Amino acid sequence: MNTTHQQSWTGELLADWLRRGKDFAVLWVVAKVFAFSVALFASLMLKRRMSHDNGIAARGTVRILDNPAIPLHRFFLPERTFPCRIRHATATFLDDAVKGIRSMSIKFSDDHLESPFDLQMNTGERSLFWSAASFLQFARLRKQKWGVEYRDYYRKYPDGLSGAIEALRENPESFSDLRYYCKTPFLYIGEDHTLRYAKYRVVPAKMGTRETGILQSPDPLEIPNQRVAAHNPNGRNYLKYEYRDRLEKGSVNYLIQIQLRTAAADEDPEIFNNMKPWDEEIHPWHDLAEIEITEAYDWVESCKTTFHVGNMPETLGAIPAKSIHDYNSLNYMRAHSAIAHKARLLNYRLFGYPPEIPDNDNRNWSDWEKPHRILNRSYDLPPKN
Amino acid sequence: MSGKHLTHDNDQPAPYGDPDTVHSIYRECIEETKPVPTRERTFLAPRLKGIHHLDIGYSKVVTASPGMILDNLYNFYDGVKDTLHEWWLRLCPRPTAITGTDFRGSSIVGRTTYAGRHDHDKPIHHLRVELWGRTWWLGWRRLAEGYSGFDGRFELPYDLRAARSSAIRKIRAEISQTTYRFDRHGNRSRSFSLAVALPIKKSDLVGMRYDLRDIQIELWCYRPDCYIPRVKIDDLQHEAPEKYVEGRNEAITDQFIPVELIKLKHVTMLRADPNALTIEEIQADYPPNLTTCIEARLPGYSRSDEFFGERMMNGMNALTFEPIDGEEHRYRVVNWGYQGYDHNNVYAFPTTEMDFEILPGDHAPRPLQITITGALSAFEHDPDQKRTFYPTDGERWLQAKRVARSVGGLISEVDDHFARTHVNVEQYAIAANRNLRLNPVTWLLLPHLKEVSLIDHTADRMLISQEAGYIPRASALTEKGLKHRVRDALGMMNWKGYRPMPVINDHHYYARAENLFWDITYEYISEFFEHNAADIRAYWYEIFAMSEDLVSHSVPAFDREAHLRGLEGRAYEVASRRLNYWTTRFDHQPQMPTGSYGGEPRALSPITQAKDFAQADPDDWENLKEMCCYAIHHATFLHSWVNEHQHDDIGEVLYSCLGLRFGEHPDGVMHPESDHRIAPDPLRATQMLWWSNLLSRTEYGAITKNPDGDVNPRFGELLKAHEAEFRSYGVLVDNIESRTNI
Ligand SMILES: [Fe+2]
Repeated sequence: MNTTHQQSWTGELLADWLRRGKDFAVLWVVAKVFAFSVALFASLMLKRRMSHDNGIAARGTVRILDNPAIPLHRFFLPERTFPCRIRHATATFLDDAVKGIRSMSIKFSDDHLESPFDLQMNTGERSLFWSAASFLQFARLRKQKWGVEYRDYYRKYPDGLSGAIEALRENPESFSDLRYYCKTPFLYIGEDHTLRYAKYRVVPAKMGTRETGILQSPDPLEIPNQRVAAHNPNGRNYLKYEYRDRLEKGSVNYLIQIQLRTAAADEDPEIFNNMKPWDEEIHPWHDLAEIEITEAYDWVESCKTTFHVGNMPETLGAIPAKSIHDYNSLNYMRAHSAIAHKARLLNYRLFGYPPEIPDNDNRNWSDWEKPHRILNRSYDLPPKN
Repeated sequence: MSGKHLTHDNDQPAPYGDPDTVHSIYRECIEETKPVPTRERTFLAPRLKGIHHLDIGYSKVVTASPGMILDNLYNFYDGVKDTLHEWWLRLCPRPTAITGTDFRGSSIVGRTTYAGRHDHDKPIHHLRVELWGRTWWLGWRRLAEGYSGFDGRFELPYDLRAARSSAIRKIRAEISQTTYRFDRHGNRSRSFSLAVALPIKKSDLVGMRYDLRDIQIELWCYRPDCYIPRVKIDDLQHEAPEKYVEGRNEAITDQFIPVELIKLKHVTMLRADPNALTIEEIQADYPPNLTTCIEARLPGYSRSDEFFGERMMNGMNALTFEPIDGEEHRYRVVNWGYQGYDHNNVYAFPTTEMDFEILPGDHAPRPLQITITGALSAFEHDPDQKRTFYPTDGERWLQAKRVARSVGGLISEVDDHFARTHVNVEQYAIAANRNLRLNPVTWLLLPHLKEVSLIDHTADRMLISQEAGYIPRASALTEKGLKHRVRDALGMMNWKGYRPMPVINDHHYYARAENLFWDITYEYISEFFEHNAADIRAYWYEIFAMSEDLVSHSVPAFDREAHLRGLEGRAYEVASRRLNYWTTRFDHQPQMPTGSYGGEPRALSPITQAKDFAQADPDDWENLKEMCCYAIHHATFLHSWVNEHQHDDIGEVLYSCLGLRFGEHPDGVMHPESDHRIAPDPLRATQMLWWSNLLSRTEYGAITKNPDGDVNPRFGELLKAHEAEFRSYGVLVDNIESRTNI
């Protein structure tokens, strides 16, 4: 009866298909170009990670807990134990005393690269960006100078600003008392083959540990200013020293927690938005695993230690993304960054590791500094006999 | 409006012949001198570009042939440009539907605020905000729309996919003011006039909230440096918060060029030789006015007692007659002069007190005596010297009446015209324009309050300023004295408790017309409030904010005690009598509670103290109606009355002017009309005739004609229903302007 109707219906379907194809193509190109640029211009040429250059790695074990609240997954079998490696870092600046975001990354193996399961987390329950497109804006508008950055970004994106207010830590006492969030959800397909989404976080194992460094009555206009305040007694490496000292005295213990929600057919895309934490009443946090860290690594090993979002079983991996505006495009971008990791490790091999961060007065700094070499050279005339 | 025939006491002899003949001559003269024929626009005709190009010296008029040709060419270019623009608008229409399907997750946020040193953090509520995309093929796509809230903040969800569509070339946010129009049937439509357009980089839209931050708009800002509440206009052509409608400027160009050319000729001749023209020659060049017309047909009548009483009651002055205690049918009028105000010593401006007999029935007032206080010649300096004149004084009585007319002329211009209608209405215009947008009171009030700020701005230069203004150079008041006087007047005026002038007898046409108009306006407003009650309540915040602006910017109350504190002797007496003048003239009610701001009582009462109607005082509803009635009444009837009668009552130099010069004779201004040394000099004379023609004869925008479709036609209908009654008071309803715009 309705040829026109049918025609328009197929036309619409075709148009939709083309649009989706175009959106995905744009995402693929953006992810590839971005990863390649980072690999070439930052990692290979400057020994740089995307942002978290200033860190300390450590080793220990992780034990999966027997928690009946969590649907069974073959990777997270109760009482399963893995050797593990973690790395704590301060984002962006080669100075622990800045007002900055701190991170914790975990890999379920004691290798610098290979692992069956990696998690990368930052302080703050919300992020500063929410999609590939927004991340590109974030990168473009950084405009860092002397410890002040993202001013233009915060002015344009109030959600980015509130994310920063939540994520920045000012003079925390230790990496070990902070809470670290994955923010972006991942797949969780357990033994019951039900599609679920999961968010991870890490908290100190000892209940009631106070989180230090949270901004007290922050002034939104001051958020771009991450500079070390005058009279701040903390040095450029104080958090790393503190962590190393702590481990010399004993182990540091954490809990990995997981938040789960069952997928629905008509999912609101906002549930993937890393700016919108899930309601803890409906989706409570469950204890997933215990981490016991016993030994800190040196600077070189800390530099080498690299995490990758692709290091995950498929049933726990990234949620597929459709476009650069899709909230899941962030993990899609991260998944393409393997080339950058390899470029950085190649640079280490060819030209050596970056220098350790000196305890000098070059504060609020984010570039490598070559240490002075001892020349042992004399211009004095040899004494006459 | 026009005057009405006279009725005299039957006992009096009729020296000018049969009263009916006198009436008909009077009526005919009113009819004959009223209209200015609309000039046909020809190719080589002089042109005037707008009201603000007028000047009491040389207005910017294109008169030379090459200039006119160029002007024609420019007009042609302008016309083509307008046509092309219109064609372009039709080609790229702006859709009303919003593009997009999924409005979750992305929005534009920001805040609209005032700009400038004093106001920059103050939010502007209820401004229209729209987000528009322009396609590569120059089409428009509406992406989002809404209004800012009470706090100026807005959040407009948009479809990210639609905004980032590759079809869209650029994106902008538009902040607009809202205006309303009516068709003949009273159906209202809304339109937006763009205040600010902010470009947004397409790549900046990445979902979540995009912040336009504080959008500062210098919208209807108060002048920070002014003695009275006035709007800030730095550049009338480019930065004024409103514009004259096209028809207003066209009316000036069409009706006023002949008069402008006469003045230009006179000014050119007089600048070359100050004695090149006599007053009579100047007068003869201008179109006749009421008094010259009557004088030509009934010599002496325009200087008669009958005519004097009639004009004082029903002319431009429309005086306030106070009954004299214990004396039946006797009334006194005080016209306060220069005492207490900064003045020069060239012109006379004494205080005049006039006693009249006003009999019940259809009788014009009969002047009984005139007492003049203050200097009358260049040789006296005593401001307290009193002289009383009676009808039996012959020539002196005629001269005293002329002095009284001239004092009345200046008082009418300054107190009634400039202070009571122009700047008084402007303070309501500013507060209303700053705050009314969605409340129905917007479309009730704003049509009557537009353009007043523009004409006041022009008046500052043309009439008030010491250097270039007419009044300080053609009367006793200096600019300083003028401003002081205007501020005193404003301190006496309050919307609350205002009532039209009480009617004295059947002949009191002014008061009867004013009462009728007030009642009709009130009826119109009551009907309006009934129909729109829900929305008026829902957007009550706008009323609250308007009330706050009105009170906090109004001048300090003319507080009796504060005004007289510390004064003694003569100073006390002068100040006290001056205060009485103001109190009587503007029916001031000192017991009326007014608002206060900065710890100081203010002239105006607040309409409401509540942001939300639920918390409002029960009287606030009535307050709002009363305030609307007051503002409309002043902007329409009261202004139309004084403005239109200027030509009748100060359109003949020797009959009345704004100031008689002291001259050289020891008697000063008490000298015959033939002594031109006491009349305004020829330059002032031609200027006076020029502006009385300008102000009275280029009116535009009657309520009943509604040429701009902005007034609710219901108001015109109600007025038309009372057309006959108005006519019986000498008022043509089709001449009552909808706003103060000249
Ligand atoms: Fe006027």
